[in-house]
Amino acid sequence: MAIAGGFIWLTVIGLLAHATRHERTPIDERVASRLIFWGGAAIPSLLLFLLLGYALWLMPGLRPFARAGEANGLRIEVTGEQFWWRVAYHPADGGVPILSANEIRLPVGERVEFLLKSTDVIHSFWIPALGGKMDMIPGRVNRLSLLATKPGTYRGPCAEYCGTSHALMTFTAVAMQPAAFREWLAVRANPSPGASLPGRDIFLRNGCGACHRVAGTQAEGGVGPDLSHMGSRGTIGAGVLTTDDEAVRSFIAHPHLIKPGSKMPDFNMLPQQDIAEIASWLKGLE
Amino acid sequence: MTTLKARIKRNALPSAEKIEEEQLRLVWKTPIGWRYWTSVNNTQVGLWYGGAAFAFMLFGGVLALLVRTQLAVPGNNFLSADFYNQAFTLHGTVMMFLFAVPIFEAVAIFLLPPMLGARELPFPRLGAFGFWSFLIGGVFVCGSIFFDAAPSSGWFMYPPLATDKAYSGIGADIWLLGLSFIEVASIAAAVELIVGIMKCRAPGMRINLMPLFAWYLLIVAGMILFAFPPLIAGDILFEMQRMFDWPFFDPTRGGDPLLWQHLFWIFGHPEVYIIFLPAIALMAMIVPTFSQRPIVGYSWIVLAAVGTGFLSFGLWVHHMFATGLPQISLAFFSAASEAVAIPTGVQIFVFIATMLAGRVIFSVPMLFGAGGLAIFVIGGLTGVMVALVPFDWQAHDTYFIVAHLHYVLIGGMLFPLVAGVYYYYPLINARMLSPRLGRTAFWLMFAGFNVAFFPMHLSGLRGMPRRVFTYPEGIGWDWLNLISTIGAYVFAAGVLVVVFDVVRPKHREPRSEQNPWKAGTLEWLNEPEENWGVRSIPIIESRYPLWDQADLMQKVNEGAYYLRSAKENRRETLITSVLDAHPLQCQRVATSTTITIISAALLGGVFVALTFELWILALLSGIGTLSAVLWWLWTGTGETPEKKTKDVGLGLRLPLYASGPDSVGWWAMFITMVGDGTAFASLIFGYFFYWTIHPDFTLGQPGPGMRWPMIALSLFVAAWAAMLGARRLNASGWIDGARLALVAAFLLTLAASAAGFAGPWQHDMQPTAHVYPAIVWILVIWALAHAAVGSVMQLYCLARSLAGRLTREHDMELHNVALYWHFMAITAVITFAVIGLFPEAM
Amino acid sequence: MRIIPKEVETLWTLFTAPVIWAGHFLACYALAAIWCAKRGDLGFAVVQAGIVAMTLAALAMIVLSGWLAWRQWGFGTNDPPHDDPTATDRNLFQGFATLLLCGLSFVAVLYVALPLLFIDGCSS
Repeated sequence: MAIAGGFIWLTVIGLLAHATRHERTPIDERVASRLIFWGGAAIPSLLLFLLLGYALWLMPGLRPFARAGEANGLRIEVTGEQFWWRVAYHPADGGVPILSANEIRLPVGERVEFLLKSTDVIHSFWIPALGGKMDMIPGRVNRLSLLATKPGTYRGPCAEYCGTSHALMTFTAVAMQPAAFREWLAVRANPSPGASLPGRDIFLRNGCGACHRVAGTQAEGGVGPDLSHMGSRGTIGAGVLTTDDEAVRSFIAHPHLIKPGSKMPDFNMLPQQDIAEIASWLKGLE
Repeated sequence: MTTLKARIKRNALPSAEKIEEEQLRLVWKTPIGWRYWTSVNNTQVGLWYGGAAFAFMLFGGVLALLVRTQLAVPGNNFLSADFYNQAFTLHGTVMMFLFAVPIFEAVAIFLLPPMLGARELPFPRLGAFGFWSFLIGGVFVCGSIFFDAAPSSGWFMYPPLATDKAYSGIGADIWLLGLSFIEVASIAAAVELIVGIMKCRAPGMRINLMPLFAWYLLIVAGMILFAFPPLIAGDILFEMQRMFDWPFFDPTRGGDPLLWQHLFWIFGHPEVYIIFLPAIALMAMIVPTFSQRPIVGYSWIVLAAVGTGFLSFGLWVHHMFATGLPQISLAFFSAASEAVAIPTGVQIFVFIATMLAGRVIFSVPMLFGAGGLAIFVIGGLTGVMVALVPFDWQAHDTYFIVAHLHYVLIGGMLFPLVAGVYYYYPLINARMLSPRLGRTAFWLMFAGFNVAFFPMHLSGLRGMPRRVFTYPEGIGWDWLNLISTIGAYVFAAGVLVVVFDVVRPKHREPRSEQNPWKAGTLEWLNEPEENWGVRSIPIIESRYPLWDQADLMQKVNEGAYYLRSAKENRRETLITSVLDAHPLQCQRVATSTTITIISAALLGGVFVALTFELWILALLSGIGTLSAVLWWLWTGTGETPEKKTKDVGLGLRLPLYASGPDSVGWWAMFITMVGDGTAFASLIFGYFFYWTIHPDFTLGQPGPGMRWPMIALSLFVAAWAAMLGARRLNASGWIDGARLALVAAFLLTLAASAAGFAGPWQHDMQPTAHVYPAIVWILVIWALAHAAVGSVMQLYCLARSLAGRLTREHDMELHNVALYWHFMAITAVITFAVIGLFPEAM
Repeated sequence: MRIIPKEVETLWTLFTAPVIWAGHFLACYALAAIWCAKRGDLGFAVVQAGIVAMTLAALAMIVLSGWLAWRQWGFGTNDPPHDDPTATDRNLFQGFATLLLCGLSFVAVLYVALPLLFIDGCSS
């Protein structure tokens, strides 16, 4: 398309440049009229008609999910929040959904259906490497099916402007071999073995559980991202920082510096030691 | 060429003619001192309008540079996230609403009268009112950023982000109310331009001889009439939600954020063409002049303008391809989006064909024109791409779109506009701009633009979403963004060169000729020193009268044609017929006044007070506005002339008064009401939109019932009939009967309004509970507000009649009010039929 | 057969074909949108039949208005530019411009009907 576009551009601009030359002989008015008809109307009409037909022909194949009854495999529900992603894996057998946040894993070679929602403002779900985007609109459930053809880690930004930290709302999509994926998912159905380590008490004592959920603890909050297996995610803060101790500590202390407009309050009134304990505990949740 | 000074030398003309000329000059004289600002003449208003729009453009440009500076390197801390969001929102808003649309209203107000051979547009005070409204609203919106209170939800203000008071603060109100105010100004300008083009052309300028600029502007003004009202309707719903919590866009109470997107883009996409067509119209004037021949394919241009005007209304959903609408809907809009490329292609080939058939002088305006075309064609080709649904699913809301829209708007609008500035500058102060500076500016702008925006295609395809205040390094966007930023500064330097060229003092330079480019169209008869437009209004026999009609300029300047004098000390222009421009009437137009400024300031007060929820002040300003407008109408319109007809020269006598469809006022009312009807239709669309998205859209909420709406409907029809009766009786000479009918119509209107109100009131419909009662209330309020205006009109007619200003022969007001009531009756019938019958039918 | 009396000369005939296009476009969109919102995927054939019928009607009307325009243009016996200051040339210009708009509208209606060939349901 770019090449064809470039060719058309060169033709038109070449004609224009030729027309500006003062010394050439003016062409006859009838010839000029014919140029308008063919160059301006007839040929573009035909080309556009063909192009439109081609694009329309592509459409149903690109987004085939909604053919009734076909989507019976894994469904991943993703809910846009300011400014992060709530993720729930609904197993095909209708079992308990597995909760996560800001990271999506999917099996290679299998079509996955996404249910896209939003609770606050409009966001847009997009993994550029896997396919087009689909908005997440409050009050509506949009569906999108994607097929990853090769394993890899892909970036997924929010594509619809959603407020202060729209730029800092991304997720990681990891396409895995189906067997590895199923194994990974099975592990996530249970609490992380690290969930009972010492940092837990500081976490709970300071009320973090009011907003965050960590499976296997009393932390059942649903306001912020689910942290049950946070240590196994590559990034924190919806793609803002790489998951390491330093990053987790600074996020706990100053979420607003890292992510303006975030709902999480600053916790820098806690002793450095406590923050470090929480951080290393969270990072250990794998 | 005899210069002006030579002509007015004492002995150069016989004294009678000189007195005539001096009198005409005096009548059209621009006030001096502070009173200069009370002028309503199209020349001054056009210049102010243009100057203000350019100033806003520079402001928007500075915002763009801030944005680009922030994005120059990854992880930059130059701007805070919040300020960045305000800056890009305001940049888009300013460029679209305060520059791109108003600048062409400005150019049109400035150029159209001389181009059509008219002295003035038919409603100068309306034009001035529009300008002052625009200025007040624009300063209000722009000023907000200095108080850290600018809108920050993006220039298309999607709810729920923009309806969230905690997030968007007062900025969203400033946006909604400030711009609603400006939209009113745009519609005022559209009314003025349509009537001006249809009714104020010089005698003999048949529609096949009309300058192409006028053809384009006619279409654009018509588009404004259908495009802006949906946004105004959307603004109303939006503000009702923000101020009173009516849940139009709140899904938890039956609303839907998508309705705003529909209403916004029904406005937003035609707007792109509202911006683009006038720029192409400038090209259609420039290209023939420098090709030294008439345009080839005049009819093709008309085809392109009309075709684009219509097709552009079938594109709005292509901004919503990713919202999850059914693919079949997307496909219709994709098809129309491809089709609109055809008329655009035609326009480009008309220019190329004209140039090929002529001998081109490659001047600065042509340089900007051709450069703009080269840029625009790229924007058009990427437009064809993003109109294809599968491509758009990827490109939507990325920097690819940012690149596309800037290629279209800057190539299709800014470059031709600068071409127009270089071309028409001699009409402003009889000096030429510098070709050397012009070429420098062009190359800076052209190179800077491409360096800035071409890489954005790539960053978009590499996945960079638009409206991000920062980005991480190492994902392939770093260099592209740095290059873009450098290009933006080079581009800005080019713009500054143009600004410098325009504002540098030129009084020492020699005066340019009256027609320096040897153009063929009438506007070049205009002399900047004279405020009268043309010395006498010529008879036109060609598309390019200055080329084809020998000695036209000389004869016009000698006063050989119509309206060479102003014996009654009144400003006058000719009204002609729509198709063949036969002279019909000598129209007296308004002179300088402060009432336009006062009215605009008071109306501005209403909008500003509403923004800050100062209800009392808003109410007082509202009453003030009403009083000012009534005073304006009472003293400034519908005047009974001192005699029936007037000798306009060349042995032609024309009437000085007209009413009904013969009068320009009737046309203005008709056109205004078409726009008003479009806003109403948008609200009705909202009603049915809510019906489609819910299985049962009343959701068990009480409706207004059938009885009261039907009573209201009948009473409104009766009021309408009484109004028509009043007009008839007055025409038949039974004045007392007409007055009685007016009183009856007024009482019926009151009763009808009460009945309309009773429906939802009696059934205790709670507008904050659910969207169904809210939309019913909005429709009722809309009808009742129109009834209130309609009843003021009835009282106004009664007062005019009692004051002897409305008589059997001079009944313009009655005709116009009756026309209003036709629309009022349609509005009432549809409103009450829909709210009363539709829920029952379901 | 004379649809518009010769005495009634108006600017509005120019807009006939684009108005037909707009009506066709809106009707197709409204039909599909309402059907998809209210009836789901059942009986999409109704929508298809409706669009086909509306398209044929629209094309027929455009052809008719095109023929009228062609007649107004003197069946092509006169070439543009139609720039004489006479009512005749003004009339020819109107005819020619109307004819061009009929052509554009005809093509645009075909464009809008094209999705029917490829998309056969309400899926999003």
